[in-house]
Amino acid sequence: MKVETKVGLLFVVAVVMVAAFAYYLGVLNPFSDSNRVQLGFNFAGGIEVGSKVRVMGIEVGKVTAIDFEPGLKMPKTGEEVKLKITATISKKAWPTVRQDSKFFINLAGVIGEKYLEVSPGTSASPELEPGQLVRGEDPPRIDQLISQSYGLAGKILDLVQKNEGSITDTLDKMNVLVTNVNKTLVLLEKTTKNEKFTHIVNNVDTLTSDLTILTSKLRGPEAQRTLDLMHRLVWRLDKMDEAAIRKFLQQEGIKARLF
Amino acid sequence: MNGEQRLTWNPFEMLGFWLIDAWAAVYDFLSLLAQTLMATFTPPFRFNDTLKQFYFVANQSVLIVCFCVTSAAAVTIVESSYHMKLVIQNDSLVPGFAALLILRELGSVVMALLITSRVGAGLAAEVGSMQITEQVDALKMLGINPIRFIVVPRFVACIAAGVVLSVVANLVCLYGAMLVSTWKLGYTPGGFITAMQGFVHFRDLIFAAIKGAAFGSVIPLFSCYFGFRCQSGAEGVGLATTNSVVATSVSVIVIDFCLTYVFTNFY
Repeated sequence: MKVETKVGLLFVVAVVMVAAFAYYLGVLNPFSDSNRVQLGFNFAGGIEVGSKVRVMGIEVGKVTAIDFEPGLKMPKTGEEVKLKITATISKKAWPTVRQDSKFFINLAGVIGEKYLEVSPGTSASPELEPGQLVRGEDPPRIDQLISQSYGLAGKILDLVQKNEGSITDTLDKMNVLVTNVNKTLVLLEKTTKNEKFTHIVNNVDTLTSDLTILTSKLRGPEAQRTLDLMHRLVWRLDKMDEAAIRKFLQQEGIKARLF
Repeated sequence: MNGEQRLTWNPFEMLGFWLIDAWAAVYDFLSLLAQTLMATFTPPFRFNDTLKQFYFVANQSVLIVCFCVTSAAAVTIVESSYHMKLVIQNDSLVPGFAALLILRELGSVVMALLITSRVGAGLAAEVGSMQITEQVDALKMLGINPIRFIVVPRFVACIAAGVVLSVVANLVCLYGAMLVSTWKLGYTPGGFITAMQGFVHFRDLIFAAIKGAAFGSVIPLFSCYFGFRCQSGAEGVGLATTNSVVATSVSVIVIDFCLTYVFTNFY
């Protein structure tokens, strides 16, 4: 093989390797199988160009551009946003991305790598149009949270300092209460070990068992009939006065002292 | 400045001699650099010589460079994994870190040092031999510019070879790292590429190629510089070769630091 051929071959190998490397990094992709989506944010929480896009936790694309657009307005709501993030989502995952899908900025991995999480929308909602501008969910600002926590801690401290006497008093009372409860519990424990108490409990147990049997019988058809008869009898007796009842009983040969 | 004049114990005189020598050396080197650059961009061009030199520098070095760089990558992977496990009991970030280290430093620097020892030493000996056998003077007498004839083809070839070898070495190195992490750390090739994608950008390869070109440019310059200043005899050639390799290796390290510092501004 000639020297020129060998040199040419080395060049070709180098170029092919560079192209393969670019393809694997997603820089060069002649067989693109993804759709683009544009997202409006006011705070992007440190996401970068090249950050991953995941749908239901599966990587489906990348963030391709981050642009500052101060006058950008959301088409549906008219809300003003200042950041436009462009991301790609593979066509395979595209049907799961709907108009009501949510776009979050999340953390992953040991070092807290940022990525764009897309929650799948409902099937009733129409599919997202390629290139459509949608509103992303602004992630919570850690600095703001810390600042708010700091303020809250200050207020709590202030409250404690101002009401130090009453808080101490309340704590003392709570201490007494807890001591009393503890004593009561100890007493109760001792009582449960007492023989008489055990006997009473056993009797109550027997009584409730008997009552259970009785009430179950009362629910039966015979008890129902008896109850009906008694009901009728009482209503009939209610209409009669004392003399009539006495006469009735005398006729029946029953001597009784009534009322 | 002859030897007799240097036989002095006066410290000021010694410092003066040293400064004059140092300035002469720097001036000679800058002069060589300027003439080389001028001759590189002005005709006549020596394509065939350049091609042959490229073949010598790149094609004949590619295997040894790939082998050595891949070995270095394997060591990097294994060591990084050990250190990560030692510190955070988790080596999931090793592919990303190792790939970045390979692309930003290891591939280009190891390649340059190998080329320095393989090509730079030979080149210094070759030019030194031409100098002491008065072939360089003969060229001048024939009206041929020795810099255009000797230095420029090697300069251009080494820059091109630096770029090509840097790219090939880095990517073969990454492939080697992937194999080692698959075999030793239990990664799948897809997992390695995914982990690598989190850290590595295409510009890392571009910067590695720029470093390769910069390293490639200093190898023939220092080799020819020390070759042209070669003293007579085998000892002179040996000294020129040694000086050339040392100066080139040091300059590779210094240039690497400067370029890394500059490239950091692009991240």
